[in-house]
Amino acid sequence: MSMEDYDFLFKIVLIGNAGVGKTCLVRRFTQGLFPPGQGATIGVDFMIKTVEINGEKVKLQIWDTAGQERFRSITQSYYRSANALILTYDITCEESFRCLPEWLREIEQYASNKVITVLVGNKIDLAERREVSQQRAEEFSEAQDMYYLETSAKESDNVEKLFLDLACRLISEARQNTLVNNVSSPLPGEGKSISYLTCCNFN
Amino acid sequence: MADLDSPQKLSGVPRPPDGVGGGSCSEISTELIRSLTDLQELEAVYERLCGEEKVVERELDALLEQQNTIESKMVTLHRMGPNLQLIEGDAKQLAGMITFTCNLAENVSSKVRQLDLAKNRLYQAIQRADDILDLKFCMDGVQTALRNEDYEQAAAHIHRYLCLDKSVIELSRQGKEGSMIDANLKLLQEAEQRLKAIVTEKFAVATKEGDLPQVERFFKIFPLLGLHEEGLSKFSEYLCKQVASKAEENLLLVLGTDMSDRRAAVIFADTLTLLFEGIARIVETHQPIVETYYGPGRLYTLIKYLQVECDRQVEKVVDKFIKQRDYRQQFRHVQSNLMRNSTSEKIEPRELDPILTEVTLMNARSELYLRFLRKRISSDFEVGDSMASEEVKQEHQKCLDKLLNNCLLSCTMQELIGLYITMEEYFMRETVNKAVALDTYEKGQLTSSMVDDVFYIVKKCIGRALSSSSIDCLCAMINLATTELESDFRDVLCHKLRMGFPATTLQDIQRGVTSAVSIMHSSLQQGKFDTKGIESTDEAKLSFLVTLNNVEVCSENISTLKKTLESDCTKLFSQGIGGEQAQAKFDSCLSDLAAVSGKFRDLLQEGLTELNSTAIKPQVQPWINTFLSVSHNIEEEEFSDYEANDPWVQQFILNLEQQMAEFKAGLSPVIYDSLTSLMTSLVAVELEKVVLKSTFNRLGGLQFDKELRSLIAYLTTVTTWTIRDKFARLSQMATILNLERVTEILDYWGANSGPLTWRLTPAEVRQVLALRIDFRSEDIKRLRL
Repeated sequence: MSMEDYDFLFKIVLIGNAGVGKTCLVRRFTQGLFPPGQGATIGVDFMIKTVEINGEKVKLQIWDTAGQERFRSITQSYYRSANALILTYDITCEESFRCLPEWLREIEQYASNKVITVLVGNKIDLAERREVSQQRAEEFSEAQDMYYLETSAKESDNVEKLFLDLACRLISEARQNTLVNNVSSPLPGEGKSISYLTCCNFN
Repeated sequence: MADLDSPQKLSGVPRPPDGVGGGSCSEISTELIRSLTDLQELEAVYERLCGEEKVVERELDALLEQQNTIESKMVTLHRMGPNLQLIEGDAKQLAGMITFTCNLAENVSSKVRQLDLAKNRLYQAIQRADDILDLKFCMDGVQTALRNEDYEQAAAHIHRYLCLDKSVIELSRQGKEGSMIDANLKLLQEAEQRLKAIVTEKFAVATKEGDLPQVERFFKIFPLLGLHEEGLSKFSEYLCKQVASKAEENLLLVLGTDMSDRRAAVIFADTLTLLFEGIARIVETHQPIVETYYGPGRLYTLIKYLQVECDRQVEKVVDKFIKQRDYRQQFRHVQSNLMRNSTSEKIEPRELDPILTEVTLMNARSELYLRFLRKRISSDFEVGDSMASEEVKQEHQKCLDKLLNNCLLSCTMQELIGLYITMEEYFMRETVNKAVALDTYEKGQLTSSMVDDVFYIVKKCIGRALSSSSIDCLCAMINLATTELESDFRDVLCHKLRMGFPATTLQDIQRGVTSAVSIMHSSLQQGKFDTKGIESTDEAKLSFLVTLNNVEVCSENISTLKKTLESDCTKLFSQGIGGEQAQAKFDSCLSDLAAVSGKFRDLLQEGLTELNSTAIKPQVQPWINTFLSVSHNIEEEEFSDYEANDPWVQQFILNLEQQMAEFKAGLSPVIYDSLTSLMTSLVAVELEKVVLKSTFNRLGGLQFDKELRSLIAYLTTVTTWTIRDKFARLSQMATILNLERVTEILDYWGANSGPLTWRLTPAEVRQVLALRIDFRSEDIKRLRL
């Protein structure tokens, strides 16, 4: 596939505590695999998947980050250029849920203020070991103005939905932004308008 | 004929009764003929029937001709009959013979099979006899060897015994000599135990005494006794002790190192290097023994043991490093400095320089060492697994990954690098701020010092991250550099441009006021960047132009930086650093950096537009407006007077020249070019406005045409690209104003326009025509354009 063979390019960064299943979500979506006994991610991993939404080719650049503390400075450097963040926790692990406010502080500090954040509760296949109720998570995400979804990378529940819905929202957001930019463009004629989208490449 | 028949059959129409049967072959039915009354029609039908008859006759002839050939074929067939009977008899005979031969062959081969079985049994019997003899031989041999302390020989015997098929031994026991063999076996087993005990003990002694030949001697015996794991574990214990004592020695040396030593700044990196080199040397020296005596695929086990010791030593070195260099303390300090509104005293970034270099060096050495281990273990597994299944291979790969990824060395280095990135970010940000604060401009230069300084710093920081050999670290620094350039540094230049290019002197007091307000405003917002303030308009002007040049150079420098990094990294990738994704990650981060170049280019355009509208337009507009005070409604006398004393255009050109000279001196050629392009557009637009406000007669039109030609001629000399296009409308207006009479326009319009493309609409043409006071408006109205 040639480099320019897409209509939209978005960067999605997955974050969240170690062991909540970020890598498995990405693998499931990009390769259709659920590799058991996945080792901890080192630094950041990088995957690309191109999907078609309403006839438009959308290239998703997915950055899967390490959850462990010692990689934080590496992963933080990717926040600013992200169009979307997928903040993941493990529904069978209270601790991973309790850390969410800390992650939100990081997002506040490092990410662009236009970033779309999705909260994901993973591992719903282990429902019998659930520690965080859906209601609690929903209330939390509502309070933080985040979209919320529960997934299972193992059973492939909601994984496609997660990424495709996100791509749809990114497309409509990108459209709105170009519209706004064109209207308030300060330079008629000469020069092109300055795009405030950090990495979106239209056409 | 059949063709004609078939549709009838298909449609199921019954054939007509006999008697009129002839009609069935013809497409013309008897009924049809009967129903015909017209002679002409009858004749036509008759003709067709005759035609059909001829066809039928031809076909019959052809069939009759074939009769002969068919008859002769029948005769040959009759003749073949008796031959066929003969062949049948022969075939039956042949089948009988084949069956017979087959039976015979079966008989023979079954005997051969029996023979083969007998032979195999015989071989087995011989083998067992051999084994039993061996067993005896081993037993005797072991005793003698043990007595002679020839442990290798003894081990060889035991090895032989261990290799014997256990079922054979079991069977031997049941034989006549059962009791004797039993006794032998017992002796052998005892000998085996004794040998094991002896080897273990002797090995321990040799280890304790550091007697390498003895250590190696017994190390080779372990696998003969089936004690591979134990041998490797004991041997690596011995090796680990050596590693430890050497490492301790080195660490002591470090603590005693004089701070003035040449390598003092990287002493911990050096210590780690010594440790890694020591282990690598051990692997190098002992790999052949392990391979020869333990077989391929065992190196992993040895290194796994060694890595434990390596981790222990690394921990010590890193602990000392952290303590002596105040690493964590420095990190915490930096972290608090990085917080916005931090009040704590800032660390001088230069102080961080040596420690940052040392950490990257430490990581680079570790990566090199880990890469060495990976390569060695992989190739050893490859040899060992050449016949193994895919699963075993994957299992081994997994073990290897786990060992190298999860070892304390990896984790410790990752932690150090994590802290390093934050400190390097601080170093970059603070040094860039400093370069901005100390920005100086030297006369004769186009740019000021900060551009080169900032890029030097960014390059240095990324270069240092690169020297760590960690792709993630490099990518993180590229990301942070992108942020620094795109937001912080671009903001600095942006603010400088926002201060505007002050309008000059009397011309626009109001403008001057707004500009001053905006300067005050931005300096309030910005604080630190604006320490110099704006002392004079000249300085402000210069600052604006220099900033424009700076922006352009930034844009170029980013592209250069990208290219440099690309070529620097090809070497790294060719060594296979960072796995298969490394290149993709790097490319993605780098393309984000390169995109910043475009943002600087946009900023440059913005600045130029600002310059054009605040500096050039207020000046140029009055000059153009003086055109209005020059009458273009003139007689011959005035026209020739204008010839001698130019009323407008020469002065205008002179003014333009003077004004642009200021910019030409202060701007880079590329920017100056863009600016003149903007300026010419402005002149064209403004001139058009005043022309439409003036009135002309024939000579006035000629005068304007002359003026326009001089102006275009001048502007062509100052721009590198063609300006004809920008002045196309004005040139066409001059053409119209130059006409003898109204209708002459038709010589240039529509079908007569030739190569000329009109930029003026018909309404505009009328408007321009109306500027000629000597043209009657009825004539203009009457024009059909």
